[in-house]
Amino acid sequence: MSVFMDLNLLFSEDRTRLQNLVETAAHLGFSTVAVNYVFEPSAKKKQEVPAPRPINELIGQLPVVQGRSRPIRVLNRLTVVMSDASHFRPNAPEYRRFDLLAVQPTTEKLFHAACMLHDVDIICISVTEKLPFFFKRAPINGAIDRGVVFEISYAAAIRDATMRRYTIANAVCLMESCKGKNVILASAAEKALELRGPYDIINLGQLFGLSDSDSKESVSSTCRGVLLHAETRKTASGVVFTMKIQQEALQDSADSEAPAAKRAKAT
Amino acid sequence: MCADLSRTPRTLLVCDRSSFLDHKNRVSSQVEQLHFIYKVSVLLPECNSASSSLDSVFNSFTSFYLIRKLPIYELLDKDFLQSAVYQGSVHGLSFRTRIDEDNCVALMPNGRLTLSLDKDSFELLGFEGKPSRFNHRSCSRFEVSVDLTDSSMAPGGRGYLRLLTGLKSHLQLQTDFLLSHHPGGGASLQALLSRYDWSEHKPKVSRRCLSNLVCPAPRSCDPHSLLEWLGAVDADVRCENSSSSFLSSFVCPEANTTLGHALSVSVSGLLLPHDVQRLIQELSSLSWSPGCP
Repeated sequence: MSVFMDLNLLFSEDRTRLQNLVETAAHLGFSTVAVNYVFEPSAKKKQEVPAPRPINELIGQLPVVQGRSRPIRVLNRLTVVMSDASHFRPNAPEYRRFDLLAVQPTTEKLFHAACMLHDVDIICISVTEKLPFFFKRAPINGAIDRGVVFEISYAAAIRDATMRRYTIANAVCLMESCKGKNVILASAAEKALELRGPYDIINLGQLFGLSDSDSKESVSSTCRGVLLHAETRKTASGVVFTMKIQQEALQDSADSEAPAAKRAKAT
Repeated sequence: MCADLSRTPRTLLVCDRSSFLDHKNRVSSQVEQLHFIYKVSVLLPECNSASSSLDSVFNSFTSFYLIRKLPIYELLDKDFLQSAVYQGSVHGLSFRTRIDEDNCVALMPNGRLTLSLDKDSFELLGFEGKPSRFNHRSCSRFEVSVDLTDSSMAPGGRGYLRLLTGLKSHLQLQTDFLLSHHPGGGASLQALLSRYDWSEHKPKVSRRCLSNLVCPAPRSCDPHSLLEWLGAVDADVRCENSSSSFLSSFVCPEANTTLGHALSVSVSGLLLPHDVQRLIQELSSLSWSPGCP
């Protein structure tokens, strides 16, 4: 079992709001959270991928997680909402500044491409609308083999009754196809009131069709798997990773070995 | 979503009806088996205040120590083993570590050190252990249990060196630790304590006077309901089940009487079995008369 994590807290420019979010998450018992920058490229105008703000700029002192003696860990995540195949550029250098990379496909073809080809960690399943396509076993099994996880977010269900229906319907549909493997539950919360404690999320997962242990894993071990998968994206086969030395202006970098604890998932 | 206690898997409620005056009662032997006692609550019906001897027993529970950020290999230190573990009963437990999230450490009074580790930590440590199964599926927690009084774990022995290397260099396990030693107290632990940030704590005693308490008639209800009612009184839950309150629907079991007053005393902290034994002896020697002093 691993610590509880919530990998989707929506970024907002308002510093106090983000601070409240992180403090509430620490108070509820989450040991790791990820601040999510949503990027929706449109064909009309060229937009730049947002740059992640350093954590110490946004939140002064990281609060201690309730019931433990460690401060909460805050990571950066990018979600690219794809409505066209050209929206997600693989190996783009802007993506390297984020710890986690997620993609939200809107059509069946894009979903298939995200599951089988693209180098992402998380595939978001939309909960605010009726699923535009059906899940097929083949791409889902392909994604599970590669170590990519599917994410269901629950904050929309808290806000509105219609969203609640869509969330449950889409989640149940997903669970039928993937049998409860490689699923994470996250909040996508904009305000501190939309967060719920980890044990409540475990109960919610059972409502979606996950078993007891699968539901607990979806908030703990699977999230840990996602973090490890994300770290191996920066490595070569999960064994060697390179670090840029700040003083040198050239691209020369030093090789160093990743700690023994990491297990590489095949990418 | 509350489970009926009798249907919860893997629980055992043993109910023994006897009197303190009966010499063969098993209370003492049961208490000896409980290594880590967090809280003892006593409900004295028809009492306004505790007698002075009872009060003194409550106030004389052994104090315990909290060490911040103790590296666990220190528990294998030769001096600590000689002065504390081999001598008497040392109780130790990691503080603020959740059993389903973190690595937990427990030191039993008979010299047994148990580590409950998650998969990563267990693989890093490199010591023998067995999977800790909650359900019959994939195991993600492992338990390493060593007997520190065994000959292979004597300082310098093979098992000892292996565990020491594991805890010192492979997996630097460090937690806040609660420690309590029965004979000897702080003196024998001083060497260990002086190296780290420590504080001494006395178990907290809290008293509550309850009036008009509805209680079930003795021997009238089954053990589960009695246990639920006792828990409700201790947790200060209202048992009226009024229609305007949605917090709880507990009710006192049927065939109940109303007590004019009662005294509820509880003591919490890292309690030692021998202190609880003294409390039980004191309670059993109380003479029961209405309105006891």
